[in-house]
Amino acid sequence: MSAVMPQPANRRERGPLVVWNHVPPVAWVVLLLIAFFGVTAPGFFTAGNFLNIMLQGSVLLIMSVAATLVILTEGIDLSLGSVLTLAGVTAVLTLQAGLSVPAAVLAGVLTGVACGAATGFLITAGKLPPFIATLGMMGIAAGLALVLTRQGAIYSDVPAFVFLGGGSLGVIPMPTVIAVLVFVFGWIVLYQTDFGRYIISIGGNEMGTRLSGVNTAWWKFLTYVVAGALAALGGVIMAARLRAADPIVGNGWEFDAIAAAILGGTSFEKGNGTLGGTVLGVLLISVLRNGLNVVGVGAMWQPALIGLVIIAAIVFDVMLKQRGVIQ
Amino acid sequence: MEGRLLIEARGITKTFPGVRALDGVDFDLKAGETHILLGENGAGKSTLMKVLAGAYQPDAGTIALDGRTVRMANPRHAQKLGVGIIYQEFNLVPYMNVAQNIFQGRFPHRWGFLDHATMHAESRKLLDSLNMDIDTRAKVVNLGVAQQQMVEVAKALSVQSRILIMDEPTAALTDREIEQLFATIHRLKQQGIGIIYISHRLQEVHQIGDRVTVFRDGRLIGTRAVSQVTLDELIGMMVGRTITHMFPRDYQPRGPEALRVEGVVSGTRLRGASLTVHGGEIVGLAGLVGAGRTELARAIFGADPYQQGQVWVFGQPVKAANPDKMVKLGMGLLPEDRKAHGLAMLLSLSENIVLASLQRLFPRRFVDAGTEREVVARYISDLRIATPSPKRLVQFLSGGTQQKVVLAKWLCTHSKIFIFDEPTRGIDVGAKAEIHGFMNELVKQGAALLMISSDLPEILGMSDRVYVMRQGRVVAEVPRDKATQERIVAYAMGHEVEP
Repeated sequence: MSAVMPQPANRRERGPLVVWNHVPPVAWVVLLLIAFFGVTAPGFFTAGNFLNIMLQGSVLLIMSVAATLVILTEGIDLSLGSVLTLAGVTAVLTLQAGLSVPAAVLAGVLTGVACGAATGFLITAGKLPPFIATLGMMGIAAGLALVLTRQGAIYSDVPAFVFLGGGSLGVIPMPTVIAVLVFVFGWIVLYQTDFGRYIISIGGNEMGTRLSGVNTAWWKFLTYVVAGALAALGGVIMAARLRAADPIVGNGWEFDAIAAAILGGTSFEKGNGTLGGTVLGVLLISVLRNGLNVVGVGAMWQPALIGLVIIAAIVFDVMLKQRGVIQ
Repeated sequence: MEGRLLIEARGITKTFPGVRALDGVDFDLKAGETHILLGENGAGKSTLMKVLAGAYQPDAGTIALDGRTVRMANPRHAQKLGVGIIYQEFNLVPYMNVAQNIFQGRFPHRWGFLDHATMHAESRKLLDSLNMDIDTRAKVVNLGVAQQQMVEVAKALSVQSRILIMDEPTAALTDREIEQLFATIHRLKQQGIGIIYISHRLQEVHQIGDRVTVFRDGRLIGTRAVSQVTLDELIGMMVGRTITHMFPRDYQPRGPEALRVEGVVSGTRLRGASLTVHGGEIVGLAGLVGAGRTELARAIFGADPYQQGQVWVFGQPVKAANPDKMVKLGMGLLPEDRKAHGLAMLLSLSENIVLASLQRLFPRRFVDAGTEREVVARYISDLRIATPSPKRLVQFLSGGTQQKVVLAKWLCTHSKIFIFDEPTRGIDVGAKAEIHGFMNELVKQGAALLMISSDLPEILGMSDRVYVMRQGRVVAEVPRDKATQERIVAYAMGHEVEP
C-alpha cells in the first residue's frame, strides 16, 4: 500500500509532532467518524463512552508504539500479538505462584524482552528477514501460551493487579495512564535520544548509517527488545483488565497495531513516519470499533468493516498525495 | 578484412543532462571482424554500445544496417534487426535451465503447452555449432561464469544475430576461460558475424582485435587497423586531455604514517592490495572501474570483511575491523555513491552531520537540540554549505552540497584519516574547486587523505603520490614528479612501462 505512494512524505522536516497545516487525512477520517456516530448513535456522545474509547484504545496505543518503532527501521514485528498473550500468561502464573504484583509485572515484561531479544538476535546476527523471524516467534509465543495455560484461561484477582487494568486515576482509567506514559516514553526515545536518531536513520539508509560508524545491528536488536517489552506490558494490562490470561487473547493484535501505524502515516520504506500520526491511527481504529458497538453492529461484522475503512483511508491518503493536496 | 559493412553509424550524438556523452561519432563494423572500443571510464564506449543496441535513442545521427537506414525503437527491435548484446551483468534467470534461458521470452509451444523437446533439441544444435559442451538441462546458477557467458552468447545468436556487442567480456574470466571465449569469437567471425568488443585490457587488442577505435570525453579520437598501431600510440590517443582546472595544492613534507595496508584480499574483486598513507599527504588511487578500488576502500573501513591481509592505523594493527571501530580510530569514508551509502536522504542536513558523532557529542544519550544547532551551524559556515535551513532534507540539496554534508559529518567526528571515493563525481565546477580546497586544508592540518578518482587530471593535480590498481591488485606506486596520464593509464590497463 505505502509502497505505491508516489513521493515519500516530507514529514521529518516538520518535526516530531503533527503540524496543523499539514494535517494527515486520517485525522479528518477520525472527525468524520465521530460526527457520523454522534448523529446516528444516541449513546456515543457521552463522557462515559469517551472514557470507554480511551480504555479500549490504551492497549492498542502501547502495541502501536511498538509497531511504529519497528516499522521505522524498515522492519516488521508479527509476533506482537502473541507476545501480548504470553506475557499475560507469565504474569498471571507468577501471581498464582504467590509472588507480588511488581514481580508479576516484571515477569510479564521480561517475557517480552526475551521474545524481542530472540527475534532481534535472529534478525541481526542470523540475518533472517524480520518477516520470517517474527513469524516464527509469533507461532512460538502463541504455542507456549497454550502449553502454559493448558489451553484454557487462567485467573487471578489480586486487587493490586486488577487495579492496573480496572482502576483509575481520578476519572482516567489506569490503562490509559500507562498508555500515555508509554507514548511519552516512545516520543522521548525517538526524538530526544541517539537511539531514536539511529532508528530513523537505519530506516532511511541502513548501509549509510553503518558506514557512519553506527553499530546498526545493536540498535536494531534493541528496537525489537523494546517492542517486545511494550507488547508484553500491553499483555499484562490486558490480563489485569480481564482478571485472566486467555491463551488466544492477543490473536490478531499485531495487525491492528501495524494498521494503526500505517494509518498514521508510517511507511514501510525509508523510516518515514511519526509517533503523533500513530496516535491518530489508534484513535481511528478505536472510535470505529466503539462506534460500531454503540450503533449495534455485531461483533462478527466488525473485522470486515474495519478492514474496509483501513483500505479506504489509505486510498484516500494516496489520492490526496498524488493530487498534491497534502504533502 | 574485405567483409561488407554490417553497421554504418554517422554523426551519432547523445546528450544527458549536463554531459555530452557522444559527440558526432562515426563508426562502422564489417562482417567477420572484431572491432575493439577503447577509452577511459566515461569516454563514451558504453553509450555508443547502448545506442547501437537500441537501448538509447541518439539525439542526432543515422544508423544503417546492411546499407539501409534504420531507427531502432528499443532493444527488442534491435534484436529483430540482428543486433545482439551481452552486458557485463548477465541477464540470465539463475534457477531456470540453459535451454529455457536461451529461449527466454519466446518459448516454443505445442497445443498451448511448452514444447520442451524442441527447446532442448534446438538449444543443443546451437551449442554444438559453437562447440560448447554445456548440458541444456543444467540450471544456470550451477554454471561457472565462463559457461554462463557462453549461454549468453548462444542466447544472442539464437535470434540470428549478425552483430554481437560484448561489454568487457573477459572482466570476470580466468586465463583458461578467456582462451575458450576467444576460440568462440574466432568461430563466430568465420560465420561472418561482426563483433563489437569493449575492452579495458590493452593486450587484448592484439590478441583478438582487427580494428580498434579510441574514445575520449564522448568524441571518437581515431580508428586504426590493429596491425598498424602500437599500444603506446593507443595510450596517447586515450589520454591527452588538457588540464585546464587549477588545483589548489600546497605541498609539504609528509608526517608520520597514518594508514598501512598490506596484502588485503576481500571477496573476488580484491586480490591483494598494499599501500601506505602518511599524515599531511594526499595519496591518489587510480585505476579503471572494476579494478577493486572501492572494494579496497570498503575493506579498509571495515564495511566488508577481508580474508587475508592486515591494516594498521597510526601503527596499531586493526583486529576484526568494522565501521564502528574504524570511526573510533579516527577514520572517515566519503563513499562514491552518496545517495546510497553516504547520506540518509530523508533525514535533515543537521541530522546527517551529527549522525556519526552522537556518542561523542551526547555521551549521556539525550540529544540536546541547542548543542546540535551550534555544532551544525559551525560546519554550515566553515564549509559554506548553501541551505535555507539546517532542517532541510538532504535529498533536496545539490550534489556538491551533499558532498559537503558528508565531509562535515567526518569533520564532526574529528577524523584524522579520510578516504574520499570519487570526491567530485557529478559535482559542478564551483563546488568541485571548493571540495579540492577543503582537501588541501585538511592535509595542511596534518590529516591523511586517500583519494580514489577516475578523473586523471584530479589524480595528477591533487596527489602527492599515486597508486594504480588493476584486477584487484595495487600494481604500481608513482611519485608526483613521475606521474603522467600516459604512465597511469598504461599501468591501469596492464601495459609494461619503464620505471
